[in-house]
Amino acid sequence: MTRDRWTLLGVIAAVVLLALLPQLSRSNYIIGIAISGLIFLAAAAALNLVYGYAGLLSFAQLGFWGVGGYCSAIAVMDFHRSFWEGVLFAGLVNLVLSLAIGFAIIRTTRHAFVVATLTFALLAGLIARDWIGVTRGPLGIPGLPPPTMFGFAFDSSARFYYIALAFMLVALGFLYGLMSSRIGLVLKAISQNDPLVESQGISPTPYKLAAFVIAAVITGMAGGIYAFHLKIIDPSFLDFYYMQTFLIIVIIGGAGSFWAVVLAGAAMVALPEALRFSNELRMVIYGVVLVTVMMLMPQGIAGWLEARRVALMRKALR
Amino acid sequence: MSALLEVRGLCKSFSGVRAVQDASFEVEAGSITGLIGPNGSGKSTTIDCVSGFQRLDAGCVYLDGADISNCRPAAVARAGLIRTFQNVRVYDSYNLLDNLLVAEAPFRGQGWHDALLRTPSFRRARAMAERRARELIEMVGLTRLIDAPAAVLSYGQKKLLAFAAAMMSRPRLIVLDEPVAGVNPTRVNEVAAILRAANAAGVSFLIVEHNVEFINSLCDKVIVFEQGSKLTEGTPDQVRDDPRVLEAYLGIAAKAVERAEAV
Repeated sequence: MTRDRWTLLGVIAAVVLLALLPQLSRSNYIIGIAISGLIFLAAAAALNLVYGYAGLLSFAQLGFWGVGGYCSAIAVMDFHRSFWEGVLFAGLVNLVLSLAIGFAIIRTTRHAFVVATLTFALLAGLIARDWIGVTRGPLGIPGLPPPTMFGFAFDSSARFYYIALAFMLVALGFLYGLMSSRIGLVLKAISQNDPLVESQGISPTPYKLAAFVIAAVITGMAGGIYAFHLKIIDPSFLDFYYMQTFLIIVIIGGAGSFWAVVLAGAAMVALPEALRFSNELRMVIYGVVLVTVMMLMPQGIAGWLEARRVALMRKALR
Repeated sequence: MSALLEVRGLCKSFSGVRAVQDASFEVEAGSITGLIGPNGSGKSTTIDCVSGFQRLDAGCVYLDGADISNCRPAAVARAGLIRTFQNVRVYDSYNLLDNLLVAEAPFRGQGWHDALLRTPSFRRARAMAERRARELIEMVGLTRLIDAPAAVLSYGQKKLLAFAAAMMSRPRLIVLDEPVAGVNPTRVNEVAAILRAANAAGVSFLIVEHNVEFINSLCDKVIVFEQGSKLTEGTPDQVRDDPRVLEAYLGIAAKAVERAEAV
């Protein structure tokens, strides 16, 4: 059980470090990057549940992200609710939405599922741009106020940072509990061998649907919080950049491995910043790193390590 | 002996090609029944229909008197009929223990909140399941590999693992699709011994297999399929001596042999 102990120590160290970050750095720029990183990490971990565990490549995450952002912004600006109620509202709307969408498409073939989720994401973007009565179209909804709690305003980056941190910890804690439980065991079994799971008396559909819905709720709430970090929401909130970020984190880390995806999330946020020593080549180097990892480790870092382990064991058994 | 599995008038076509045509047969409780026949005689389609992986065009399937025709595969499994697959299926990235824990029955009464919060009753159920999984892995002789991912197993070992997983939920009937095809011949007797032990413990078997020696040594009854329906059935000895069976397998060649013998 030493491995579990090391994991626990690592988690505690990371949490302490993250909690102290606003003290360690006064730079609003770095805090801002960290806030994005924490929220992206929660969304990526949710995608890992759908894609890595349940085996469903879902582009709908982008749509849920956008719907969540708009829901929390509209709840605050138009219905004069608090930020917290806005985020809950974002989760609730996504719960209903993902249930409806998931119910319709979860049984379709792999390719049909990808196309259907992609369509939903594009549709959400269209609605954000064209349903001017609700979303205010291309102009977006500016001036989102800082969240407050019992008279305390989270009005600086350093203060907002703790909202993002708390959300990330709760979301990842929940997802870890889920993925390491028997439910996670069955989910990953489904993505490995669907007919075998069925032949053992387990209907895959409720598991897949639940994973899809849980991920949608977390992604939606993440979007709801992120909008208030930007202080404005407009159709660019549904830019494919976000989906791409979530996917890169999951694929580089290794779909289906909880800790690998968490570490990849941290690395993918830090890497572009670490490369700032060479501003001109920054994105070029970032791209080269991504392509190299994908070429050498198509199953992600966790998948690569697993393949090495299996190869070693096979050799030992000969 | 009463019929544990009863198949009546089973029909199944694939875009006009009749794979199974009016097939009826029974598997008695406590028996080991073999299902043999030439390639394309409808054995695999029959298994798929019985286990819910294909819908029936016509006919009925009863498990211990309960109608399971056209039930979903998961429902058939929960009713007590577990099947294995011809192209062996295991969870490659899971170790042997987890492979079996996916398939266990004691958790069935447990809800989602039990699994998430790991309540005491859940932990008891898990401990029970783990004990049973270890026993089954021991039974098929894979204990030394228990922590290895299933990907490292040989083809034959994967078949044994798949069989242990099938036993996990304490089914009444296990349908094995070619359990020894591709298995090292020296291991075939081991597989037969394992199946006999499980049968003595109360599990009935329906076995599709081309290895006639294996079938003859193991089965109480052999059903012979030809062109999508039952040609004949009987004890292994009866079936072996039946000229129609020889003809089904060898076609006109059998008649030629008869003629040659007459001369």
